[in-house]
Parts: sequence; C-alpha cells; structure tokens
Amino acid sequence: MAAASPRPVLRLRGGLAVALAAGFGLVAMGWPLLAEPGGVLTETTSGPWLFALLLPLVTAVALVQLSDGGMDARAVAMLGVLSAVVAAVRPFGAGAAGVETVFFLIVLAGRVFGPAFGFILGNTGLFASALLTGGVGPWMPYQMFASAFVGLGAGLLPGRAPASRGGRAAELAMLVAYALVASLAYGLMLNMSLWPFVFTQGELAYVPGAGPGENLPRLVAYTLATSLGWDIGRAVTTAVLIALTGPVLLKVLRRTARKARWL
Amino acid sequence: MRRAHPVAWWGWALLLATAASRTGNPWLLALIVAVSGLVVTWCRGDEPWSGAYRVFLLIGGTAIAVRMVFYIVFGGADGATVLFTLPEVRLPDWAAGFRLGGAVTAEGALAAAYDGLRLATLLVCVGAANALASPRRLLRSMPAALYEVSVAVVVALSVAPQLVAGVARIRRARALRGTTGRGPAHFMRTVVVPVLHDALDRSLALAAAMASRGYGRAAGIPSRDRRATSAMLLTGLLGLCAGAYALLGSATPAPLAWSVLALGAAAAVFGIAFASARVPHTRYRTDRFSGRDWAVVASGAAAVAGTVAAAALDPGALWPAANPVSMPPVPPVAAAGIIAAAAPALLVPSARTAAAGRPA
Repeated sequence: MAAASPRPVLRLRGGLAVALAAGFGLVAMGWPLLAEPGGVLTETTSGPWLFALLLPLVTAVALVQLSDGGMDARAVAMLGVLSAVVAAVRPFGAGAAGVETVFFLIVLAGRVFGPAFGFILGNTGLFASALLTGGVGPWMPYQMFASAFVGLGAGLLPGRAPASRGGRAAELAMLVAYALVASLAYGLMLNMSLWPFVFTQGELAYVPGAGPGENLPRLVAYTLATSLGWDIGRAVTTAVLIALTGPVLLKVLRRTARKARWL
Repeated sequence: MRRAHPVAWWGWALLLATAASRTGNPWLLALIVAVSGLVVTWCRGDEPWSGAYRVFLLIGGTAIAVRMVFYIVFGGADGATVLFTLPEVRLPDWAAGFRLGGAVTAEGALAAAYDGLRLATLLVCVGAANALASPRRLLRSMPAALYEVSVAVVVALSVAPQLVAGVARIRRARALRGTTGRGPAHFMRTVVVPVLHDALDRSLALAAAMASRGYGRAAGIPSRDRRATSAMLLTGLLGLCAGAYALLGSATPAPLAWSVLALGAAAAVFGIAFASARVPHTRYRTDRFSGRDWAVVASGAAAVAGTVAAAALDPGALWPAANPVSMPPVPPVAAAGIIAAAAPALLVPSARTAAAGRPA
C-alpha cells in the first residue's frame, strides 16, 4: 500500500454512472429549451421542482458509485481540506459582481488529483460552503452538480505533469482556456435551470410548450438582462486567477500528491 | 430534552414550500411566512447558522423587488388601470420584438407582486430549515454508502475555522519578521502558499491518523454484493435518464414516462439503501427518528393536505386573479392546514426557554 497513489480511480462503472448522471443533468437543466411542444413536461408546472428534487438523488448515486469499494483515507482528508479552502475563499467573491473565487481551485485540484477527485470536490466544496454559511437553497443542487462537472472536465484534460518550462506554459494556457469555456457553460446551464423558477410571466419568461424557436430569444434576452455580466466576470476572474496562482498552486498540490504517496 | 431531528426540520420546511408552490394567494403566502417565522423564533438555538432565517428574508425581499423592476422595464400582464407610463422602446424583430418601458398597470404590478411573493415564500421556507436544522447532525444522517464523502465534508467543516486561524498566525509571523512588502505577488508568496502548505500537510497528518484507526480501509464487501449494488444503481440512473428524456418528447404517453422515471428513482434509492446496509461501519450514538420528529413532518404535511383539499373544493381561491384588481378571498381549509404547520412551536422545546429554566 505504501506506494499507492491518493488519487481516487475513475473505474468503468463509476465512469458509466457519471456519464448517465451527465445525461440526466442535461435534461434537468436544459429542459426549457429541449422540451418539445406537446411534451409531457410542458403540460405541468411541477417540472422544475421535480428536477430540483431528483438531481440530489442522481448526484448521490454517482458519488456512491465513484467511492465504491472505499476511498483512500488520504483522498478523504485531502478532499476535506480542499473543500474547506473552497468554502473559505468563496465569500471573497460574494461581495463583488461576477467575481468567482471557487472554480480556479476546483480546476487546479481536478487537474492534479484526477477526474473522480474533481467531481467529488465540486460537490463537497460547495456543500461545505453552503452548510457553513447557512446557504442551502433551491439553487444548491444545480450548483453542486455543475461545479462537479467543471472539476471532472479539468481532470480529463490530456497530458501528464510537464517537466519543461515550455510544457508548463502550455499546460497553464490549456487550463486557462478550459476555465473560460467551463465557466461560461456553467453560467448558461445555471441560468437555464433557474429561469423557469424566477419568471412566470412577462416578455422574459419561459413559455411552456412554445418550443425552442420561441423560447431561445427569450432565454437570450433573459441572459443579457440578468446574468451576462456575471458570467463574463466569472470566466475572466477564474482565468486570471488560474494564470496568476496556477504555477504556484500546481506545484504545491503536486508536492502534496508526491508526499502522500509515501505516507 | 433533545431538539428535533434535522431531517424532520428539512421535511417540514420542504412540505411547507410545496404548499407555497401550490398557491398564488397572497394571504396564504403571508400566512406561510408568518408560521415559519413563528416556528423559527421559537425553536431555533444559538448556533452560528441560526441567523440564516433573516438572510433568507432579505433574499426573499430582493426577489420581490427584482420581479417588480423587471415587470416595470420589460412588461408582463396587462390591465386597464394605468398607474403611469414610461417612454416605450420596441426592439427590432431580430431581437424578438421585445417591448421596453411603456404603460405600468395596477393589474400587472399586482400579478408581478403575487409572483414575486410566491418565490420569496419558497425561499423563506428553505431559510427556516437552514436556521433550524443542525448541519452536523444532518451529516450524521447521510446514508452509510456516502460515508467517505460525508467524512470529507465533516473534515471541511472543522478545518475551515483552522484555516482562518492559520492566516492570522502566518500574518503575525510575517509582521514579526519585519516583512513589509506589498502587492499581490508578495502576498501570494508569503501568505497564501504557507497557509496552503500548512493545510495540506495537516491533511496528510490527519490521513495518517485516520488510516491508523481504520478509516478509509477498503471494506471487505464481497464482490458479488458490489456488482449487485452497481447493477441496481446503474439501472436506476438509466431509468431516470430514460424517464426524463421521455418527458421531454411527445412520443411517449405521459403515464409511461412518469412510471419509468418513478421506477428509476425507486431503483436508485433502493440501490443506495442496499449499499448502505452492506457497509460494515458502526455508529456511535445513532440519531433516531422519534415520534415527535414524525409529528413535525406530519404538521408540514397538513399544510400540503390543506392546499390539496382547497384546490379540490375551490381552485379559483388558490390562484386569485389579479385582473380586475380585487381583494383575494381566504380559503379556510388551506389556511387551517397552514396554521396546523405551526405545531412544532408547541411540540419542540425552545432552546432559549430550556436555557433560561436551567439553574445557573
């Protein structure tokens, strides 16, 4: 056991569970655009509530399957400490519009410790922060789910730890580009998931059963009016934070991963 | 006497939120806010999270305000009584021809206010659960199959205060050394990196301590059981996915889509329960669900039952029309159900009176 890695392994069954969870999450968040006119979801008003309740179940199933057979104590301790760091830096972003201080940590940790770790850290980090601040709301399942996939994606990026100076620069550039894409996608998905809750009438509201042709312009207008500034701010701050702190933090995290191997 | 179980509080609050989501009647919504406020002021303790209710009240107020501003700028329901008129801009057709500004009517404003109040009430119910349920006790009630993940969250909750202490210690050391450099790069090198190193090294020490006590040991679950668990969990996920996609389209009949979704959810829940039963971890002082906790949940269910009964008797009263402007009626059955949801204030001992009654 001495030389084992603290990285939780993404096995076949875990990968399958995560892929299925992603498929469910796509419906749970994107249903306002995906639902066909005349489909079952457009006939009822309970759709969004149903998904908000089922999403934690799906997340729990994916987590059970990922930690199947027991997780290493080092992975558990590292997850706990990094979740605490996530919870501690999150309030720094809450005051200013669009400043998001969570993702750069999840992306960097996912890169170093692998996709399974990134997925679990996205969940535990936001959950711990919500518990610490008493901020468990209807938005939390969606946030946990989406940030879990941000961490997972960071772990799936290609390439190993680079040894040369050029390799390190290329790795950093790749992480920055990934962070930009991932934070914009995160903003869009969260927007879509909360949209039918927030407005039920008016020109920005989701029209049940109207089809994507009618709803897409409304979603775009809603995004422009409410959250585009936030989304761009989130993408920019995440990218800048990764570019600034990435070299040091990657070194710190890799050193810990190396040390943990000999514990 | 012990406080009520956190799962009971969450069940109560979510049932109350369900009742709120089933009505647009401002009297009922205000009654729900009042009931949750009464129970929170009566039953909450002095823990750090007990102040969450006030924060959620503020968030709810913001939701109403945002809803009103959006109604005024982007329009909504129309009516006959014009309050005032804003300069109107019509966007071109490629921008979907939205209207900005224009007449603000009393009927539209009322409809927007009802809508905002409903969302605010839902948020306030969740805030009540945040204020009442202890997150630490809640984590102890996580299913055993999520044991490692919940241990990680418990570690996070206890490490976070230590991080703050770590920052203070390192800053003091920096000041004693006479380091006065400013700027983000310097801050990074002399504060952030040491704090992070400190925390990560501590996590390794913690991991060693946990490993020596048998935590995180690959538990001896037979591979046959693990395969059975996986099969159940994956079938459940597959069912949930298939059900969700069937709900999107119009090709599948509704009852079939709902039953596939329900079967998937049942398989997933059963899979988690099956996996939990196979985890050979023992618990110190298990947190049992007592009769009083069931009563708390039942009082929340009374509110939902009240709105369901009222919907059967007089559906119009639950969704009062904002056009024309009129005083909405109070459906007595629904109101009685919501008032019954205040029962926890009588059932659960107040933490403050308990503390006051104790001899000093």
